[in-house]
Amino acid sequence: MGGKVTCTLGEVKNRADFIVYWGGNPAECHPRHFTKYTLTQKGRFVPEGRKGRTMVLVDIRETMSSKAADLFLQIRPGKDFEVLTTLRALVKNQQVDERRAAETGLTLAQLQDLVDRMKRARFGVLFFGMGVSMTRGKHMNSAGILALAAELNAFTKFVCMPMRGHGNVTGSDMVMRWTTGFPFGVSLTRGYPRFNPGEFSTVDLLVRGDNDAALILGADPGATMPQPGIDHLARIPTIVLDPKVTHTSRLARVHITTAVTGISAAGTAYRMDEIPLPLRPALSSPYPTDQEVIRRIRQAVAARPSWSPASNARMAIA
Amino acid sequence: MSLNVVKDATCTFCGCVCDDIELHTEGDRIVKAKNACSLGDAWFKNHTAERLFPDALIDGKPATLDSAVKAAADFLYDANMPLVYGLSNITCEAQREAVALAEMIGGVVDSHTSL
Repeated sequence: MGGKVTCTLGEVKNRADFIVYWGGNPAECHPRHFTKYTLTQKGRFVPEGRKGRTMVLVDIRETMSSKAADLFLQIRPGKDFEVLTTLRALVKNQQVDERRAAETGLTLAQLQDLVDRMKRARFGVLFFGMGVSMTRGKHMNSAGILALAAELNAFTKFVCMPMRGHGNVTGSDMVMRWTTGFPFGVSLTRGYPRFNPGEFSTVDLLVRGDNDAALILGADPGATMPQPGIDHLARIPTIVLDPKVTHTSRLARVHITTAVTGISAAGTAYRMDEIPLPLRPALSSPYPTDQEVIRRIRQAVAARPSWSPASNARMAIA
Repeated sequence: MSLNVVKDATCTFCGCVCDDIELHTEGDRIVKAKNACSLGDAWFKNHTAERLFPDALIDGKPATLDSAVKAAADFLYDANMPLVYGLSNITCEAQREAVALAEMIGGVVDSHTSL
């Protein structure tokens, strides 16, 4: 869990009476979230279903999701950190300057009303999307919203959960956590794990031109990354494993076609609430799975002497 | 054409990872994805088991899997600071292999979480 105050989606379904979505558009990006877990289901302690729950949406613009909300709060772009910090101050009854609060796009009265509602909730949830974690402030915004949820527990039960986009991005956090101790952006260049977002995060590495080779798995940075990062991938030997020939494959030195996760490749994927689920592929692929190909590359590398003098010394003793 | 039904299939399009999908397959494609949302439906129907792409490409030219694996291992072994990136659309079992490979080549491993 990495220390965050959270719960499973099953608990949300059965207990949550106050749901906040922040910086995300679940109606279009996670279409079954409302109906399976958060809004319309009748839960054990929310027997009335939708009528027993309040939904607040915080975003910079109206979306399809605002139609489902009881309360829509429109904040100014890039002001998430300020709104979160103001809410945290109000939760603790600290003085907030009315004019400074208004810079967020919301009035002090609106912010105080949200705090009062959150404190009155029996079981509150904060779901946050990329509008929080990928705008100005980035991981400090995520830290802010997680801290807000934690601090609300002095008054009532409150939890927080990121709305994860890609199918098994949660799984990559989990696997990296139990193998290296850190969830992402892990450098093993010294032979032991080091974690430092900004230094070891992909966009920063590629834009600075730090890497001299890249292995891209289940991703298409050639279509999504800032142009200087893409340019660097084209400069260095890039290897892509993907079920399709992607934008990144076209600038890569090596592309290997693999089976499609969950459709023709079996295994495990984590749901956004960190529940592992088995995949049940319906088709059998003519291509090998990512797992098989990565293992074969690893075995080919393992046949060579290690780059690390320490590890070669250990091998010599053994 | 054989019709096959897979119950309680799992969709890995988004982070909801819905595990109540009923997939109907005909030959090498999925023809129906019951319970799936519009995104999941498109995800299941857009991926087939057909051989649409070469096994591998080296410098844009079709190559065998064996030679591509060797080329990949050579590039990663020779690099001083290789990057292993993505991992968000592969299984946990494959992610585990990727972390082990990153350790062996002395690289950096990162996912979409850092974006």
